[in-house]
Amino acid sequence: MSGNPQRPTPPAFSPEDMARRRRRSIALALVLGALVVFFFVVTLVKTGPAIMNRPL
Amino acid sequence: MSAAFDRLDPRSDGVALTSSGEARDFFELLKPRVMSLVIVTALAGMATAPGSVHPVIALASLLAIAVGAGASGCLNMWYDADIDALMSRTAKRPIPSGRILPSEALAFGLTLSIGSVLVLGLVANLLAAGMLAFTIFFYAVVYSMWLKRWTPQNIVIGGAAGAFPPMIGEAVVTGDFGMHSLVLFAIIFLWTPPHFWALALVKSADYARAGIPMLPNVAGPAATRRQIVAYSLVMAPVAVLPALMGFGGWLYLVVSVVTGLMMIGLALRVLVRTEGEPAKKAAYALFGFSILYLFLLFAVLLVENGLGLKWPLPVYYTLGGSMPLAEGALELFRALPKVLG
Repeated sequence: MSGNPQRPTPPAFSPEDMARRRRRSIALALVLGALVVFFFVVTLVKTGPAIMNRPL
Repeated sequence: MSAAFDRLDPRSDGVALTSSGEARDFFELLKPRVMSLVIVTALAGMATAPGSVHPVIALASLLAIAVGAGASGCLNMWYDADIDALMSRTAKRPIPSGRILPSEALAFGLTLSIGSVLVLGLVANLLAAGMLAFTIFFYAVVYSMWLKRWTPQNIVIGGAAGAFPPMIGEAVVTGDFGMHSLVLFAIIFLWTPPHFWALALVKSADYARAGIPMLPNVAGPAATRRQIVAYSLVMAPVAVLPALMGFGGWLYLVVSVVTGLMMIGLALRVLVRTEGEPAKKAAYALFGFSILYLFLLFAVLLVENGLGLKWPLPVYYTLGGSMPLAEGALELFRALPKVLG
């Protein structure tokens, strides 16, 4: 598949850049995971004891 | 700028990707030192509020307020990247140093702004969320985009943005705001000019290079020194008010009086030492102590109210509730939506 002739090829990242991007991705994954836990805990607290008041 | 090709920047000719900035570079965009001050002041606003809130809700709200404040700092860095590059104090920030792309910072700041306001609205209440949104708007748009490059009163008016967190903290707890947080607002508002002008005296060449009309560059160092003393003389007594109004105890009274006198003393030293190295040292001393001063005031309020260690002043019972004018003004402000709508 040939690229668009009007669009120059992006320069390749150096191994050092790739390592930095990997560390950034891991940090982002950790933040997203923490956000999931955050919303779960806040939902439990906001709902309160009534969280069990539902037909099972 | 290594491997920094901006897809939103037409100069990058369409080859844009992203920078190789690391997580700590993005964290730096949030101005962590300012964030820590926001956390302490917002927490003090919660602790002194008449009421209580579930600790998890308080913690979640505090996180949203801190992230919102960080987001406004990020938007400020995005907008000011051109002048930051010209000043020695700010040239190493992530955008001017090329570690983060402007478009990344903008996207990061906007995402966190919207996210923090939504979370605060869901976790706490709409008033707190609305105030956080206004604070972000005030700092990023009113201060950064408008006041900063236009008037020497930039940090006086812009100081309101830094003074809102205690009010947001009280709104989280009560769904309203009252005299307590208004007094805390006034303390931070009056503290901002002496704090920033002390730095501006030392960095006036930097600000001149960047074309920012700070007071020393426009009105001169002598007028700035007089203004620093004037604001300090007003601020120090206002900072004692929490003790007289009953939400600060004996410890707060002692700390606010002693450190307030020290602030006035350091401001007077800035006034009289006008030349050379002694002048620079005096300005730096005031700048450094002012940070400690604000931290101490709010930390003591937090310890006294948050941990229940307050030893109340008897004088509270004679002075409490003796502010009909301020209370009346507050009532009027609260009634405005009904009157207008």
